[in-house]
Amino acid sequence: MSTANSNNSTNHHHGDRDLSLWFLEQSRLASARGLTDEDEDSPTELNTINSSGGFIVVSPDKLSAKYTSVNLHGHDVGVVQANKPAPVKRLVYYFEIYVKDAGTKGQISIGFTSESFKMRRQPGWEANSCGYHGDDGLLYRGHGKGEAFGPTYTSGDIVGGGINYDSQEFFFTKNGAVVGTVPKDIKGPLFPTIAVHSQNEEVNVNFGQQPFAFDLKEFEAQERMKQQMSIEKISLPTNVSHQIVRSYLLHYGYEDTLNSFDMASKSTVPPVHIAQENGFDEQDILFALNERKALRQLIRNGEIDSALGKLREWYPQIVQDDKSATCFLLHCQKFIELVRVGALEEAVKYGRMELAKFFGLPLFEDLVQDCVALLAYERPRESSVGYLLEESQREVVADTVNAMILSTNPNLKDSLHGGLHSYLERLLRQLTACCLERRFLSGDQGEVFHLQRVLNSSKKARC
Amino acid sequence: MSVLWIIVHQLAEIEAMAGSKKVITREEWEKKLKDVKIRKEDMNKLVMNFLVTEGYVDAAEKFRKESGTEPDIDLTTIMDRMAVKKAVQCGNVEDAIEKVNDLNPEILDTNPQLFFHLQQQRLIELIRNGKVEEALEFAQEELAPRGEENQSFLEELERTVALLAFEDVNNCPFGELLDISQRLKTASEVNAAILTSQSHEKDPKLPSLLKMLLWAQNQLDEKAAYPRINNLSIAMLEDPTV
Repeated sequence: MSTANSNNSTNHHHGDRDLSLWFLEQSRLASARGLTDEDEDSPTELNTINSSGGFIVVSPDKLSAKYTSVNLHGHDVGVVQANKPAPVKRLVYYFEIYVKDAGTKGQISIGFTSESFKMRRQPGWEANSCGYHGDDGLLYRGHGKGEAFGPTYTSGDIVGGGINYDSQEFFFTKNGAVVGTVPKDIKGPLFPTIAVHSQNEEVNVNFGQQPFAFDLKEFEAQERMKQQMSIEKISLPTNVSHQIVRSYLLHYGYEDTLNSFDMASKSTVPPVHIAQENGFDEQDILFALNERKALRQLIRNGEIDSALGKLREWYPQIVQDDKSATCFLLHCQKFIELVRVGALEEAVKYGRMELAKFFGLPLFEDLVQDCVALLAYERPRESSVGYLLEESQREVVADTVNAMILSTNPNLKDSLHGGLHSYLERLLRQLTACCLERRFLSGDQGEVFHLQRVLNSSKKARC
Repeated sequence: MSVLWIIVHQLAEIEAMAGSKKVITREEWEKKLKDVKIRKEDMNKLVMNFLVTEGYVDAAEKFRKESGTEPDIDLTTIMDRMAVKKAVQCGNVEDAIEKVNDLNPEILDTNPQLFFHLQQQRLIELIRNGKVEEALEFAQEELAPRGEENQSFLEELERTVALLAFEDVNNCPFGELLDISQRLKTASEVNAAILTSQSHEKDPKLPSLLKMLLWAQNQLDEKAAYPRINNLSIAMLEDPTV
């Protein structure tokens, strides 16, 4: 976690500016709320353009296919892919077919194929494809020789094919029950694919527009449960959660909370002993606790002048450069507080005096503009820059000042990281990075980890 | 057979050494960590959730003031919950049962196992205090009928009554029932039931996330070598061992 902002090499100011710039970033982050969840396309129908024309007829609704010719050899298979590849940002993808008519030979198959799949061959016979075949119940993976897998299937059966992205496996079902699984060793997008290969064979495809015969929800729930069980089995060092909460309160200078927490921890049965073992050292975050608490309170109450005054008195080095990011954030906040109480004229005066100098500086420009934009609205709170009036903006400023004070600690062992992130934050960053990296190394497949989703769900956490 | 096994084992080792595992340097990893967006608000919520679920009502109130984070439950209900928990921890089981029923009579009505465990705890406290006659009467009148309904209750009851057979309970094979840990176990069961009745999760989210971190690191170990955090309480990155 480097505090140094990479675009600071051109910055001539001293190092501590980097730290507060980081918080500037954070304040922008706060304005971009909510999860941006990219929706993925899913297959909805059969692809009639890229199918083995001539041998099969696809119905007008593009949800069933029939073999109309007489098959002569292995290269006149009637294959159809779905119109879209299977979506990957999820735990499981699944689709089903209903065998309406097994025709003369019942050479039906269901599976997954890559984009470059050679049409006119059964899925599974070619490289980068996989198919479960009805006439022999065998599973084919990339060549013409099948492996023992499950029962055969014929007219009246409902057969399903799925991809479990978490275990990186294909699985197939027959009439609602799992037949078996095989490792998924194909990379890249995979298209749900069906094939028919003897006269009058006809299948209907269900991409989820109808309820499935297979209980997909239950299957997913069980997969999640399996993972949850292995997570719950892991044991944690005694009281580690207490320790992390405590260091969080110390780090941010929530001193009153800390005192209550410590008092209560002592009187629980059994009392919680926060051990100083394991190398846990709170010296770094004990630093200037009273001062940090006092300044946080002032900023949270909107008393920016007093906060600036105290800073000048206690930590002149932080505010000596009036064009530093810390001063900038404090001036902005003062402006915001004036707008909040409706002292617009005073706000304008203050803005001209203290904010104007930040105009045109690329690092500060957008926040200055947002601040000034507050003046344009009769009800600024409901405007697009209303985020500035929220408590979270005060918190950002308070956190900046807090981090700046921590960074003045002459005994700071880890001067790069010490002031910036609490232990809790470092752990959450590590958790997120691990989950994202793991998914990346699985070919970008599987559910995308969102910490916020985990925090907001009433259900258990999940990677 | 064993020779084959050795060969297979060696092959696996060679495969691992051949570098199928991706190596991520500290620099690369720190860049990834930096790109992660963690919102202060979310961390505050996580801390609040911990304080509330663990019953630190004063601290939760202070934290609300100091951080502006709203608790996800009415703080007054924590006090009631903690009073019940404390009563069990101190051995005042009758008092605890009364308090739970004041809070919500459905909790014990719909939770026969919890009710049994509370009654069992009451029996244990009677035995602890040497009230043999009272204990026997209580066991026969209150607990035995429940044991008839449920085999596992009956076994629990038998284990508990067995405490009476030993003059020195330290020699009793079921002596652990008299241990403080039994009270804590019962107390946390009541605590969980009350939280569930308030449609709140019975466990705080923070320990689950910490477990998840350890799990996620183990999972990633299979695919990559990268800087790990091995000691949660100092949250320090350690260089990958390649």
